[in-house]
Amino acid sequence: MPKRLALFLPLLLAAALPASAAVKASDVIGRAIDGFVRPAYASLDQHAAGLTRAMHQLCETPSEPNLEAARSAFSGTVEAWSVAEIIAFGPIKQNNRLERMLYWPDRKSIGLRQVQSTLAAKDPSATDPAQLAQKSVAMQGLGALEYVLYGDGAETLARKDDPYRCAYGAAVAGNIEAIAGEVRDAWQNPDGFASLWANPGAKNPLYRDGTEAVAELVGVFINELEMIRDVRLKGFLGAKPDADKPKQAIYWRSQNTTASLAGNLSGVDLLFQASKLGDALPADARWMAESIHIQLTNGVAAAKSVSGPIDRALADPALRDRLEHFAQITSSLSTLIGTRMTAEFGLTAGFSSLDGD
Amino acid sequence: MGIDALRTALIDRRDFLRAAGAGFAAVMAPRAWADTLAADAVFATAFVKRDGSFGAAVLSEAGRILHTVGLPDRGHDVTFDPVSKRSVVFARQPGTFAVVFDNAGRDEPLTIASIAGRHFFGHGVFSPDGALLYATENDFDNAAGVVGIYDARSNFSRVGEFPTYGIGPHELLLLGDGRTLAIANGGIETHPDYGRAELNIATMKPSYTLVDRITGDLVEKHELPPALHQLSIRHMDRDRAGTVWFGCQYRGPPTDRPALVGRAARGKELELLEMPLDVLSALRNYIGSVAANAATGTVAVTSPEGNSLAVLDAISGRVVATRSLVEVCGLAPDGAGFMATTGAGEIVGSAGAVRSEPDYVWDNHMLRIPASA
Repeated sequence: MPKRLALFLPLLLAAALPASAAVKASDVIGRAIDGFVRPAYASLDQHAAGLTRAMHQLCETPSEPNLEAARSAFSGTVEAWSVAEIIAFGPIKQNNRLERMLYWPDRKSIGLRQVQSTLAAKDPSATDPAQLAQKSVAMQGLGALEYVLYGDGAETLARKDDPYRCAYGAAVAGNIEAIAGEVRDAWQNPDGFASLWANPGAKNPLYRDGTEAVAELVGVFINELEMIRDVRLKGFLGAKPDADKPKQAIYWRSQNTTASLAGNLSGVDLLFQASKLGDALPADARWMAESIHIQLTNGVAAAKSVSGPIDRALADPALRDRLEHFAQITSSLSTLIGTRMTAEFGLTAGFSSLDGD
Repeated sequence: MGIDALRTALIDRRDFLRAAGAGFAAVMAPRAWADTLAADAVFATAFVKRDGSFGAAVLSEAGRILHTVGLPDRGHDVTFDPVSKRSVVFARQPGTFAVVFDNAGRDEPLTIASIAGRHFFGHGVFSPDGALLYATENDFDNAAGVVGIYDARSNFSRVGEFPTYGIGPHELLLLGDGRTLAIANGGIETHPDYGRAELNIATMKPSYTLVDRITGDLVEKHELPPALHQLSIRHMDRDRAGTVWFGCQYRGPPTDRPALVGRAARGKELELLEMPLDVLSALRNYIGSVAANAATGTVAVTSPEGNSLAVLDAISGRVVATRSLVEVCGLAPDGAGFMATTGAGEIVGSAGAVRSEPDYVWDNHMLRIPASA
């Protein structure tokens, strides 16, 4: 997604953040990469590898415990992805990886229909991860695997009577693992995207100066907070209860909706801490960094405190209130980071990030 | 009504008359004044104020704010009807309002609400006789672009619609025949349930269509080569030869450097223009505005992503000038060049003079309204 972040005083930021000459833009970005991006995608890759193993185990020996193990590995992968996906630029944007990993929202149920027809037709090419990767983006990622593991007919996975469903699910897991591995490797590559981001300069095709590199980082906070609130949460949480749409909630089938929201916010927190962006604030504004951390922690806790099926949570006023509270926290954070912190840095988020106008 | 307005401290008499247009000036002011003013134009643009409020403003050629009208949410582009001398500012997508206002603030603004199942995309255009207003809209449940038709003489009631023959229409222009609409179908599916999130990046397919505004029939449809299916065609202007220039936004990997500017002539395939790599890189795969200057035979494009502005020769298609401007986007022809506005509140005149309004974040587009209009 394009960022729309206005830079108020670019010269001041060219080499160092204005608040502190000791804090260099390239150091902040280096810490963000080493302290967050690389570990987050490495964790995703590990979880995805475990998910593939669990799927193969299930296919070889269908059983309730193995189905549970595969579902648990799926949830772990969703959580790891929810942390990592806040870095929605760089290698994940190559080759439609983002959409292949998670095709969502799927408003017209394209993915659902494709997965159902694949399961009905038992297309053998969809059981090979390499061939699956060439098919529709909507049938090769987390949404497809969620349907395999939790959708209509998923209980057959625990028995020997539907090997195709399991084989297709294993191929989806293998494809997820392949994508995660490619993105991890691309971030690890010392001459790859990480090097571009951490070494802004006149010849750099993406980041001409430190300001642009830092703007990309600050853009993550601004964009993702908006995405979490306006797309992920408000996609199913209506202005009033009668406008709620529980079946539009991401991961509603696997009951991972709130775990994913929590993962997103905890990713934001981890990235903010790892980059030490707060150290660049002037002394009288350091409270912002502390406040950001506290609010993110509260937001994660609010999301985690809502468990079980999302339709039941929405029907329970106390639980629904916590989701509203989560929305308020993200709004407050958007103002704190998008308006106040950027002002301290001489950056101004004048325009919305999810732009495209 | 004129007396009260003339007494207001906000705008002086001359600016007020300019905002009102030469026709008004001729009635209200000595003949000599009208002659002086005839050369002057005003500029209309949406804005966000630093206090978080929204509106549209009419600016003088010197960049002075002549008049503002408040908006309930963020606006986008403005269109003008020279017959009734009213402007319409459209909500930014997925907004559901458009506000009709008088450039001098004499009449109360009139709000148009989009109908159920539709929202505005931020652009519109009047028929030459000022009777009908056409707006790009989203039939979001069907992911289909439509042009909504509004009767300007009946309080802008919505009297119909026709398809844009594509998804995610953005800017539309009326061609010189007064009948054919050129429409940039950006190709990106959105749905208000998910705010502004883009739902079909992997499969998007932008197009440029010509549609007969009387019959709603498709006259021509052009697509980019399959390798460029993520190059969203979004903004346009017409040069003096009638060629339509379009600017694109690329949704593929940011390290790619596809051409971003092209032109369309009737009956011909779209032509994408090569640019020197440094100029292209500075546009950051995102063109926010396109404007042609008929007097100078040039076309300008802006990139708020890349903080840059480029001017091309309309005949050769070559880049003839570039300028770095922080968060530049709004763009309109002005004299021998272009007036531009920025997200940092600056108004940059064609001669290069900069006027700053730090309380204002100028929005993506600016419309030049000639005094003769």
